[in-house]
Amino acid sequence: MTHDHSPRSSKNERLNLIDRLARSITWPRFVSALILTFFLTSILFPFYWMVSSSFKTYAEIGSRDTVYFPSALRLDAYKELFNPSDPNFWNFGVNIVNSIKVAIPTAIVAVILSTLGAYAIARLRFRGKNLLLNGILLVYLFPGVLLIIPLFAMIARIGARFGFGVQDNLPILIITYLAQTLPVALYMLANYFRTIPAEIEQAGLIDGCSRSGVIWRITLPLSIPALVSVSIYTFMIAWNEFLYALVFLNSRVMFTMPIKISMIFNDPTPRPHVVMAASTVMTIPVVILFLALERFLTEGLTAGGVKG
Amino acid sequence: MDREVKFHGMARAVKGLLSATGRWNSLQSREAHLAWMLISPTALIVFGLVLFPAIFSIWISFHDVTLRNLNDVFHAPFVGWDNYRHVVNDFAFKYQNLRVWGAAVTSIVYSFVSTFVTVLLGLIAALLLNRPFRGRGTVRAIFLFPYIAPIVSVAFVWRWILDPRPSGVLNDLLMRLGMIDAPRAYLATRGLALVLVIIFTAWRYFPFAMLMILARLQAIDKSMYEAASVDGANAWDKFRNITIPELRYVLGAVFLLRLIWTFNKFDDIFLLTGGGFGTNVLPVLTYQFSFRAFNFGKGAANAMILLVILGTFMLVYARTVMREKG
Repeated sequence: MTHDHSPRSSKNERLNLIDRLARSITWPRFVSALILTFFLTSILFPFYWMVSSSFKTYAEIGSRDTVYFPSALRLDAYKELFNPSDPNFWNFGVNIVNSIKVAIPTAIVAVILSTLGAYAIARLRFRGKNLLLNGILLVYLFPGVLLIIPLFAMIARIGARFGFGVQDNLPILIITYLAQTLPVALYMLANYFRTIPAEIEQAGLIDGCSRSGVIWRITLPLSIPALVSVSIYTFMIAWNEFLYALVFLNSRVMFTMPIKISMIFNDPTPRPHVVMAASTVMTIPVVILFLALERFLTEGLTAGGVKG
Repeated sequence: MDREVKFHGMARAVKGLLSATGRWNSLQSREAHLAWMLISPTALIVFGLVLFPAIFSIWISFHDVTLRNLNDVFHAPFVGWDNYRHVVNDFAFKYQNLRVWGAAVTSIVYSFVSTFVTVLLGLIAALLLNRPFRGRGTVRAIFLFPYIAPIVSVAFVWRWILDPRPSGVLNDLLMRLGMIDAPRAYLATRGLALVLVIIFTAWRYFPFAMLMILARLQAIDKSMYEAASVDGANAWDKFRNITIPELRYVLGAVFLLRLIWTFNKFDDIFLLTGGGFGTNVLPVLTYQFSFRAFNFGKGAANAMILLVILGTFMLVYARTVMREKG
């Protein structure tokens, strides 16, 4: 015989497979698979559309027929964004740098300050702790648009006295982002510090470590996952922020990415592929950071109830 | 007796004050001293940049603050309730008729409906992810994408998907399926625009609800389900009599949180429609009064009205829903 298996046995196998499949597909499973597919398509399609549109040419983007798959991975849109020799050069590199200049300091300062504060809240007893905590929680209640008017007026007044401008001033943006991120960071870290047994620290104190020695040598090394996720969070909030940047930034070389993208979008000649390219550039670092640290981040999300 | 309590309170307050200045040298007060040192930078930034501006904004709402006197805001003329009167009588704010709702009514409808849909989607997604299957971790990560992606990116992708030209994806798909005859301008049609903004909000924020509900779901004692199975309960009975009661508190909390945040949210609607076509909400209107018309007093008054409505929600919520749950 040249055939390895007879047609009959292969038919039997196939029947077996179909039979097994049929038995494993029950109504609840079918319905949940259907819902799952619906969720996944509606979530992933916009992201696919963003990335694929960024590789289209101007002709493909403006054509009468919808182009579902770009003909090739063309970098026209990216060249327009970054390449100074392109006639529509958007100088997007400057905006990326601005976003980094705002987001990284925000993350670093937020982690340092909230570590100190969270340690006090988790470990030390002091009068007014609950009042203070509730006061900080109130931040969740106030809309950004309510705060921005008085902030603008306040900083304009202080700036007039000390000789700095409110607008196009990245350090001012950083400080306002700190006010938005510190409460979240404080809660996340305090929750984490509470999970570290106090006995470990007490043992350190008994062995002759000072309080700061205990924090530095015991508590912080144990909290590295929490510290990383807090810094990623604050980084992402600063990276994504729109309203404050919109009000506080005025000239296009000072724009952070969100404001620049919005400006490209509102260009009189619509350039969706360029907007999508810029959006892709802005989204990818966030998604990569998130995927790399997904486990920590989701835990932190539920623990701190991050505002968004 | 009463006086004694008061006296003790005062003594304690004095003690607290002394310990804060570091003159009270017991171990306990040294601890308190250290705590205040550690938390003061955070407290200073948060109170200085949130609570103080919030109070200051009440002041601004009663004064005529425009671009001219912004640098000298403390000498702005007092105008009493004028700003509030102007806001309430503004065409963009006031309810006109069934077709033109005005920002106040639109805001309330938008935030309630989209919060409801958000929590519902979050619940469905959480139930979906609560039972083990292959690739569950990956699916959970993907489900979080809308929530972590930058708002500017996702808002503009959606606008691009909803493009009014025949080549817009949604137009193309719906025409191929024969559901519409001619391309539609989704975000530029009254009514439809509001529906789409609500769908977008639910799409973007359901992952938050999902995570909170999922965390609670996984904490439910499994033996309750086993006991119910022994008693002959079917899946629906178990869901209705065990899962939902166990989730009630977290559902209530998530609903309130999302309601507050949605009510305060500026970016989503501003980026999707700019507040046009029946989607103008109070945060966007506040921005328009302040930074388009540069009438900061009117903007502040509008923001205060927003805050009062929000406070009313919370009060009603605390009175009814929270009490019911004990």
